[in-house]
Amino acid sequence: MTNPAPNQANQASKQAPKQAPNQAPNQSSNQAPKKASKGLKLTGLIVLALIAVALCPFLGAELIPLKAIMTPGHPEAEVFWALRVPRTIAAFLAGSGLALGGMVFQALFRNPLATPYTLGVASGASLGASVYFWLGISFLGGIGPLGASLLGAGLSMALVFLATRSQGGLSTPVMLLAGVIVNFFFSSLVLFIQYLSSASDSLRIIGWLMGSLVGLETARLADLGFIVLTGGIVIRSLAPEIDLLVSGEEIAASRGVEVARTKLIIFIVASIMVGAIVSLTGPIGFVGLMVPQAARWVLGWSHRILTVAVFFLGGAYLAAADLLARVILAPAEIPIGVITALAGGPFFLFTLFSVRRKGQLL
Amino acid sequence: MTPILEVKGFSLVLGGVGLLKDISFTVNDGQYLSIIGPNGAGKSTLVKALLRLHNGVKTTGSILINGRDLHSYPRKELARLIGYAPQAGGWIPPYTIRELVLLSRYPRPDKKRDLAASDKALTLTGLTALADRPLNSLSGGERQKAYIAAALAQETPILALDEPSAFLDPKHAFELDSLLKDLNLTHHLTVITVTHDLNHPALAGGLALVLKKGNLLFFGEANALFKGSILEEAFEHRFIHLAHPNDGRPVVLSQ
Repeated sequence: MTNPAPNQANQASKQAPKQAPNQAPNQSSNQAPKKASKGLKLTGLIVLALIAVALCPFLGAELIPLKAIMTPGHPEAEVFWALRVPRTIAAFLAGSGLALGGMVFQALFRNPLATPYTLGVASGASLGASVYFWLGISFLGGIGPLGASLLGAGLSMALVFLATRSQGGLSTPVMLLAGVIVNFFFSSLVLFIQYLSSASDSLRIIGWLMGSLVGLETARLADLGFIVLTGGIVIRSLAPEIDLLVSGEEIAASRGVEVARTKLIIFIVASIMVGAIVSLTGPIGFVGLMVPQAARWVLGWSHRILTVAVFFLGGAYLAAADLLARVILAPAEIPIGVITALAGGPFFLFTLFSVRRKGQLL
Repeated sequence: MTPILEVKGFSLVLGGVGLLKDISFTVNDGQYLSIIGPNGAGKSTLVKALLRLHNGVKTTGSILINGRDLHSYPRKELARLIGYAPQAGGWIPPYTIRELVLLSRYPRPDKKRDLAASDKALTLTGLTALADRPLNSLSGGERQKAYIAAALAQETPILALDEPSAFLDPKHAFELDSLLKDLNLTHHLTVITVTHDLNHPALAGGLALVLKKGNLLFFGEANALFKGSILEEAFEHRFIHLAHPNDGRPVVLSQ
């Protein structure tokens, strides 16, 4: 149909110079104090997190005094620099990566119960490690539990991606469903393998599944650091897009976000980061669930600052959990995954009570 | 003059179901278009198609914005042309009104204007006093206005709104109608709005478009909509046609 002439009022209005509705002069805004307050909170969180992390290597079964670490050749300095510092750094990096993974999946799925493991990466890594322990060190030419779990994580990623793409596009609900299915299926396979395994292999599998930083080679710290920092930078650079995705995919697209591309980048980066961490440490639970939630309570949902806060808070949380794991039954060590899981239960209860008080989970 | 929006023989199929069938119409810069029709007619589908918001659909025909094919626009460029306010139902983002409005500045490279533009959008929609309230603490109507403010903050020449007055009481619906008319007349914005208020096209003036089961039943001057039995045919319902006692514009009442 052709377009009839515009109504008279519209014609009259065209005599006026064209003006967008928002071309008003700058108005006063109360954004500045709010931003400053959030900036202050973020700075406070970072300082607290760094202090906590800096203290961790000094504490343990034996307290190491500051003076000792300054003395070259001192046995305690050796323990401090060769064992505790790398271990604390590993805990920090793993905690940061897992917390960031949880944060982006919670944003992507708009669900605070999402975890870095929701899309099945951890169960894939667990399956790889379980198969390795079951079949023995000759499996795949002796690639080690790290190689096997990386393979498993990659397999789960590929399956989730292909299953999602098979339905056309990159639908978030389909991705979530595919992740949950892969998660359950691979977890069942892990149980099956455990059933088939000898008692000693089964114990090794259980030990791996609990998550632990024991035995993490110092040589792997650089790899871990590279993956977590790269992942963190990519996620931080996508903060505006993530904020808009939280508003809903339709709104995000209407504001100019390339939704499918952004989701794909988030999926790949977060999965690689989480897959690599889990392959190195086993599936340490609850960090990715609790830390982003706690950070949001203090700082809200702006991922520009939340990403930074979650990075430091996640790292500090896991470094502190690792400290507890080292001291509670010293000289024996509790797997760190047990500590985070024990803290997770009460946190969940607290969250639920808080939901009731605030009226909304998010 | 190139129309700001030109839809030519546009059809849209989702999961084998034809939701829009051979739709053609043009809207010139600065016009006001009211889209009406019964539930399931394809009104929201049409508006979303103008923003390329559909996934997994098959389309034929074309949609041109400023004479250029819709699909040739990068998303950010399109977001600088069409501001969009969705229906306020469903998911409530965990943001304050101000945060939601500021997020709409995403496609705009001029970050220095963000605060001024969002403040202006809040003022226009009367939301300044509520700006720091979380969306989940607002009524449906207030939330709807927040989405309109967010669309305004995009500072686009076209505003597309999906049932903007759905949750508003008569007073606020009237205020919103006045705002949209003012944006259209004073600021020369092209307004495209889906509405269930059959009296809205006559009040707003401009153009009206009627959809029924994905087909275009009527497109033309809003006043012509009330002549004949177009509304009766569209809604399969009888209406009482009256003249408004204040200004004589056509008014319909449900039988």
